[in-house]
Amino acid sequence: MALVSAPANDRKRVKVYELKNNDWFDRGTGFCKGIVVNQEEAKILVASEDDPTRQLLETKISKDDGYQKQQDTLIVWTEQNGTDMALSFQEPEGCAGIWDFVNEVQSRLQALAQDDGLSDDIGDNVSPIILPLPDLSNLPEIENHMRAANSTPGGREALTKFILAQDYIPKLLPLVDMAEDLESASDLHRLCSIMKMLILLNDTAIIEYVVTDEVILGVVGALEYDPDFPLHKANHRQYLSDESKFKEVVKIEDQSIRKRIHYTYRLQYLKDVVLARILDDPTFGVLNSLIYFHQVDIVQHLQANAAFLKELFGIFSPKEPNLQRKKDAVLFIQQCCAIAKSLQANARAQLYQNFINNGLLDVIHYALKHQDASVRVAGTDILVALIDHDALMVRSYIFKAIQEKSKPLTDTLIELLLIEVDLGVKAQMADAIKILLDPNANSASIEALGRTNNDFLAKVRGSLPSMPQTDSFIQNFYDESARKLFQPLKDLEGRPSMNDLSIQEVSLFSHLVEVLCFFIRQHSYRSKYFILSENLAARVAQLMECPEKHLKLTALKYFRTCIGLHDEFHNRQITQHNLFEPILKILFDTMPRDNLLNSACLELFEFIRRENIKPIVTHLVQNYREKLQAIIYVDTFQTLILRYDQMHEPPTTQELENSFTSVESDTPARNGGIVNGGKWGQGLKEADAEEEAYFNGSDDEDDGLPNAVKPVLNGTSPARPLVNYPDEDGDDDMDILATSAPSISPQTMSTATQTQETPTTSPTSKVNALIPPERISEKRRREDDEEDELLANLSNSGTKRRASTSSNANSGSLRGLRRKNSIASTKDGGGGPKKISLSIPLKSGGEGGEDD
Amino acid sequence: MSSGGSDLDKAIAQLRACRPIPENQVREVCYKARELLIEEGNVVTVDAPVTICGDIHGQFHDLMELFRVGGDVPDTNYLFMGDFVDRGFYSLESFLLLLCLKVRYPDRITLIRGNHESRQITTVYGFYDECLRKYGSANVWRHCCEVFDYLALGALVIGASTTLTPTDGPPAPTNTTQLAPLDSEIEIETLNAANEIMYRYARDSSQASNSQQPSTQSPSASSPTIPTPSNIGPAGTSATSSSSGSPGTPGGAILCVHGGLSPLIDTIDKIRLLDRKQEVPHEGAMCDLLWSDPDEIDGWGLSPRGAGFLFGADIVKCFNYKNDLSLIARAHQLVMEGFKEMFESSIVTVWSAPNYCYRCGNVAAILELEEDGSNAGFVRRSNGERGAGAGGWILGSNVGPNTSNRHSSPGAGNGNGNGNANRLGALTDSVPQRRRDGPGRRYRVFEAAPQDSRGMPAKKPVADYFL
Ligand SMILES: [Mn+2]
Repeated sequence: MALVSAPANDRKRVKVYELKNNDWFDRGTGFCKGIVVNQEEAKILVASEDDPTRQLLETKISKDDGYQKQQDTLIVWTEQNGTDMALSFQEPEGCAGIWDFVNEVQSRLQALAQDDGLSDDIGDNVSPIILPLPDLSNLPEIENHMRAANSTPGGREALTKFILAQDYIPKLLPLVDMAEDLESASDLHRLCSIMKMLILLNDTAIIEYVVTDEVILGVVGALEYDPDFPLHKANHRQYLSDESKFKEVVKIEDQSIRKRIHYTYRLQYLKDVVLARILDDPTFGVLNSLIYFHQVDIVQHLQANAAFLKELFGIFSPKEPNLQRKKDAVLFIQQCCAIAKSLQANARAQLYQNFINNGLLDVIHYALKHQDASVRVAGTDILVALIDHDALMVRSYIFKAIQEKSKPLTDTLIELLLIEVDLGVKAQMADAIKILLDPNANSASIEALGRTNNDFLAKVRGSLPSMPQTDSFIQNFYDESARKLFQPLKDLEGRPSMNDLSIQEVSLFSHLVEVLCFFIRQHSYRSKYFILSENLAARVAQLMECPEKHLKLTALKYFRTCIGLHDEFHNRQITQHNLFEPILKILFDTMPRDNLLNSACLELFEFIRRENIKPIVTHLVQNYREKLQAIIYVDTFQTLILRYDQMHEPPTTQELENSFTSVESDTPARNGGIVNGGKWGQGLKEADAEEEAYFNGSDDEDDGLPNAVKPVLNGTSPARPLVNYPDEDGDDDMDILATSAPSISPQTMSTATQTQETPTTSPTSKVNALIPPERISEKRRREDDEEDELLANLSNSGTKRRASTSSNANSGSLRGLRRKNSIASTKDGGGGPKKISLSIPLKSGGEGGEDD
Repeated sequence: MSSGGSDLDKAIAQLRACRPIPENQVREVCYKARELLIEEGNVVTVDAPVTICGDIHGQFHDLMELFRVGGDVPDTNYLFMGDFVDRGFYSLESFLLLLCLKVRYPDRITLIRGNHESRQITTVYGFYDECLRKYGSANVWRHCCEVFDYLALGALVIGASTTLTPTDGPPAPTNTTQLAPLDSEIEIETLNAANEIMYRYARDSSQASNSQQPSTQSPSASSPTIPTPSNIGPAGTSATSSSSGSPGTPGGAILCVHGGLSPLIDTIDKIRLLDRKQEVPHEGAMCDLLWSDPDEIDGWGLSPRGAGFLFGADIVKCFNYKNDLSLIARAHQLVMEGFKEMFESSIVTVWSAPNYCYRCGNVAAILELEEDGSNAGFVRRSNGERGAGAGGWILGSNVGPNTSNRHSSPGAGNGNGNGNANRLGALTDSVPQRRRDGPGRRYRVFEAAPQDSRGMPAKKPVADYFL
């Protein structure tokens, strides 16, 4: 390796990804370097930036190619064990450095390999293991041998080799029958322990072997005698030999596929039943991936088999008399679609295309109307999977149905939601309606596909009926279907009492209100007109009179959603119809109890106060002044009244500033949603954007990003804006911080009472307020000086107000505070959960290891 | 399940055997739980005695071990600080058992929300898949997630004694230190699963003078004026460091929360102003409470988890002082010893999943707080009681002495006119200028349930298969 020198050891910041279930899994961020171990070995190492002692990645550079460099900052390769990995570099230079290193090492290794052809067996120096030919007399010896070997990695490897090379498992199995004949419990227990050890060697070849037809019954037979439960005998053989468990809806001609189906089932049985109690994580993982690969192969085979599909979907023709067979076919298709979720995007698109061409949509219609709830569940599952896969496509089919004057799927869904009695299915229907009408849910997967395979995309698209815009689809919904959907809500008008809602109604109304909340957020213009013309806001308000508290809460959430939109229209709807009446009633009914409904009410009024939504403040105070005045267990309402008074008199008083949660803001955009999420940490938001920019390959300078390794903020709170703009409310930002959190030392605590009486805060605030916006790098450079200045300023007060000074100094370093990863957001409650590529960097290893 | 407790008792028995209950029963239990939880505040008040537990993560057999070690419900009052699900193989059985116990004995068991009680997280870390596998559809997962949205965000334990009644048990064979004498004021006891005493520490009375003169203390925990706790305390504690008071002084309350503090929350009352019925957001106060971690830093720091924050000793001390808390108990982080006190015992991490993920090799712990006999000074504030006595935990009254004016703008220094000033002024006098005594803390440490107590595998095999 003399020719290859390690790349300059400057720190290359990089994210490590691993491909799991078709998603790139973020294994963390760290610093990458290449090292030369010896003549034959060089490695890439990534040390975690949070804990430099922890390696995120340690990979030996192999001489085979398979390393790819993409887009200047990305290196992708496949590990020896088949895992796909990627390194995403912060800087193209860093990427280029490592890339050159890999190339040099590889050419060196290839040269070496030509020199002597032996290099493949490097590291094969484990001493071999030999077990005696098994019989009942030497089982204790075999078990002990295995146990000893099992305790070291080398031993395990040698044991695995021996077992496979010597066909050892079939030699063990006859002993099970013999021991059973002899009723020798001790031998059976030993055989069980031996078998467990063999499987937990966690070798793919062994696990694949034990589920083959020849040995499976013998293997699970041995596993029936668990020494941990000497009084029990399981019945795995009976269960697995029961052929009736296999529902072959359509005969599968291909023998290898039939076999795979059985293998998959046995693997699942091993995982969920036989080994459930003793599985360790690696074996669990091996079983899962074997199952996954089998399933993918099976589904791939079936979806491409035209004859098979024809027969499968033919089951739904009127000619088929067997209702059970139809039901089974739905469940079969459901399973296919569930597996398809983990297929690569183009394989999945192919599958759905083939299914649809054979009549998948009719199957969904059939299933949704089935009398058996389990079939309806399956039907919605298939539908949701399909919409998740490509909402545009589903919409275009619905559009086509509308044009052909046949009943569109939307209407079927609506009818079903209204009459469905199974509450689980009902919830699913509501979700399906939401996703279908989610303008953001187009076809993420198809778009991803488009990036990799444009021809294919064009082909798929080309075969579809004309693709209407999502917009006109939604328009059509409001024209034709929305009324049907919300009719039950509308029918509440004139209902004398809300005390007699049935369970079904309660459930329906909460779904409808949730769907409505979703619509007002997603379809602002159309939903407004619709709500106005149907006067739905008043109906939702009516629901607050019902005795069911969770429905009250849902109704309340509708109004919170409306108000959160900062939309004049919604505000007017609420004030004109006096819809605060029922909200205040809930408040008065619950206060001052500390419960969820009460908190939800308080949060609503807090939001109005904090955002200072003037029309609502005015409405509330003008109509309910006395009532509000009486609520003194929180100061929200006093402040609301003050706001109103201030609005209507010149602001002569500073009283507002003293309220205990005062967060003043006349500009909602600035401090919006402080308490309940939303737009609270302005500084963080900004940092977020920068972080994204960085990972999008932005060339912009990232001042101090590496410093963000473990940003430490001495100051009060990250929620502060970075810079205190010089305005009258200069110290509001400190209030956001919830006052608290200055890093108060015991001294300051002890003197807090005095200092807070004196106006010593003002110098700080003033200094804060006068610092003009400036570049952070400059600011950081000046930090120390500033601190000194401030200390000097404050020395008048006679107390060391460390808190204030450090908090000020930190408004600069806050810039370095970045959320490295934010949880990927998903659609609101939409549909079945999707595997999102979450990147919550959980530390692994060591004490912080598995924490969460 | 409508006929009183008998069906529920049956369900509990079935779940105790680690066998899932039918879907319709799950739905009913979830609906009933929802009715109960909707009545709970975002921070629910809990009376001592109570046993505080950390993450469970679907390790059903270890939860059984926990009940064996800590006493069964309803004989022992429990407070579980979230993360019931994900990672382990029996999230469903574990969570449903706890939920059934909650419905059956609502006053005996309190469940608060962890960051894993979320649709998004459970979809990735196992609970969703488990439900799908055990029921064939996601309905049960949906029902459970609906309940998650109703779980309280924290709990406030009141009436805990500052000293423990010494446990009558033999010293553990591993014990190498001198146990505090039985007649001293016991602050900390650590017991193993066999009820043997691993450590027993008396409250250090030499600290009394310090606590009366906080100005002599340094802000840094390593200050020479404070005995360094780490080298004398038992594993996991920083024993002996907490300040003391005269005997019989009631300690402050104990805030229990899954993750930790939030920069947006300076008083417990502000937690009340959250609308918790939602999926755990990605940021904001509710998120922070469930995601944050204490760390050896000053002030606030960025969390490597990507949600929540890191917070230092200064933040904790300030928060405790201001809210008249003697301790924050939280979970969320694996600690090998099962529990870990930090920042001069102002915060403790309790972790209740032994051998986490079936491979981490850690022990688990639960924290027992005893009831204070005198029980003076605190008045329950939750669930329907109007008003409270002076110094009680009514909303707004437990603000620290200096919140209202600390950040007032120039010219408004002498806050007046809105009534707050008076109330706060009065309180300023009544809040003593010293730290509250921590509660007496008994940690019970236990290991993973032995294999043979795990029972036969109970997973229902997939019935029919097509693929
Ligand atoms: Mn957690």
